[in-house]
Amino acid sequence: MIPAIALEIFVVCLGIFLLMADAFQEKLDKRAIAWGGIIGLAAVFALTFFVRADGSAFGGFYLNDPLAILFKRFALGAGIVTLVLSLEYAPVLECQIPGSKPGAGLGEFFILPVFTCVGLMWMASAADFVMIFCALELVTISFYIQVAYARKNVASLEAGTKYLILGALSTGFLVYGITWIFGMTGQTSLRGISIVLGMVPEASQTALLFGLGLVLVSIGFKIGAAPFQFWVPDVYQGAPTPVTAFLSVGSKAAGFVVLIRVIEPFLIASAIAAKLVAALAFLAGLTLIYGNLAAMPQTNLKRLLGYSSIAHAGYLLIGVASVGAPFAGRAVVFYLIAYFLMTFLAFLVLVPVAAASGGDEISHFNGLGRRAPGLAFGMLISMLSLAGLPFTVGFLGKFFIFEVAMRQGHFVLVILGIVTVACGFYYYLKVVRAMFWQPAPEDAPPITVSGLTRFAVAFLAALILILGIYPAPILQFLL
Amino acid sequence: MATLANYLIVSGLLFSVGLAGVLLRRNILIIFMGLELMLNAANLSLVAFSRFNLGQDGFPDYNAQVFVFFVITVAAAEVAVGLAIIVALYRARQTTHVEDLDTLKF
Repeated sequence: MIPAIALEIFVVCLGIFLLMADAFQEKLDKRAIAWGGIIGLAAVFALTFFVRADGSAFGGFYLNDPLAILFKRFALGAGIVTLVLSLEYAPVLECQIPGSKPGAGLGEFFILPVFTCVGLMWMASAADFVMIFCALELVTISFYIQVAYARKNVASLEAGTKYLILGALSTGFLVYGITWIFGMTGQTSLRGISIVLGMVPEASQTALLFGLGLVLVSIGFKIGAAPFQFWVPDVYQGAPTPVTAFLSVGSKAAGFVVLIRVIEPFLIASAIAAKLVAALAFLAGLTLIYGNLAAMPQTNLKRLLGYSSIAHAGYLLIGVASVGAPFAGRAVVFYLIAYFLMTFLAFLVLVPVAAASGGDEISHFNGLGRRAPGLAFGMLISMLSLAGLPFTVGFLGKFFIFEVAMRQGHFVLVILGIVTVACGFYYYLKVVRAMFWQPAPEDAPPITVSGLTRFAVAFLAALILILGIYPAPILQFLL
Repeated sequence: MATLANYLIVSGLLFSVGLAGVLLRRNILIIFMGLELMLNAANLSLVAFSRFNLGQDGFPDYNAQVFVFFVITVAAAEVAVGLAIIVALYRARQTTHVEDLDTLKF
């Protein structure tokens, strides 16, 4: 048995080791760094099974419960898949970064996800606003660099600048909100806040709600909830594709973990809880409508996935707004895992296809069913699961969310959710239509896929189908 | 003698000025200055809250004051990365105006 904190320490050491290897071993093939990262993260993933899920460390700053362990695995998995994607994407990226010799500057691209991964893992355990802030910033700042990484590509730089300004803006809101929560309760730890609110439930509510509202705005930016979503499509389209994938899964999951942790102490005071749930339900409705409607006319697959990630944030917010139902937490976590599987699967197919066809428009997928049947099948499963077809994990995710929403009486949200799922079928099936019903262009180049990516596609597709029929392993873990 | 309310009003003003700068100005560097102003506004009110709400032992709550150091450190890291990105953007586009960032419109 090892203490949970050791996991983060191992990953930090791995990152620094890879950084040193990159700096001092000039003859080293940069791909070896990515392989080192994948193997190292996989080893830490295995170590998570030897960690006891109990108690806290650092005087309550660090919490170690089953939810934290699960999200540490989530973060490690996301890091591993991102590195697989980065390996596949490396030839494209090489043309977009300035460098005197081949492979220059690739090393950091493989190392930065490792540090982001530490931030995500740390955030899963953060139980104090100071720690939440630091972990969130570690994730955000390393994402700034990754989004703007393709420095010869103006789109990537612009996406990086937009993400930088809006990310820093959300940090400003977060810190100012934390300030007011601290001012009203005299506590920065979530546990301390819940104790204070339990003793004096009527404590100066207006100021507390102001602070909580600012924190919610900031988290809304991170998870891409409307009306704070406007950066999402641009940043997703401009960023290098592996970064887009990591951003859409890792950053979103981190936002939701923080949201789940932060709202918990405020639910004790019933007057605040009612307003909080109303605000979350409102955000959920708005996000669902915006994400689904705006996704419909898109022709660029990366941008489409950006809008789709807004829509999925809406479904997740329904689950968070249904807090109080005994199953709500597990429904949200299950949905996040489903979202992880299907989004990464879509990106794993997108990267080689875009590299071979020279762009990530939906029209570049024309005739993929003939050109690369395996990849097309993977994309088919991913799109059907994103749309929510039965026997896929995406369907069960939505089903659980709607169930808890019904129990808490959010009927309007459930109806809205079901209507928007129908919209979802339209734009996800557009991709399927391009793959199987449109003829391939005459000069379509052959698509080459590495064995590692092939394995990852098969693995994720299998998990989507298996967990779609037999979800018990994940649900039981969180009991 | 300045009271807690005085500090909070100044900090609120600073925050509003910063936010207005972010929303209204069109030069990325000025926007960035506005963002830093917002963080400093939060720092000011954190210290004020900590100093005026003394604990039972008569000492302020040092958690908040330590948090201020974290905020300053993180802001410095953010500036380092942010300015690097803005410089790279300037080299590519010869501009620091947000209106010129139009590659990603549909």
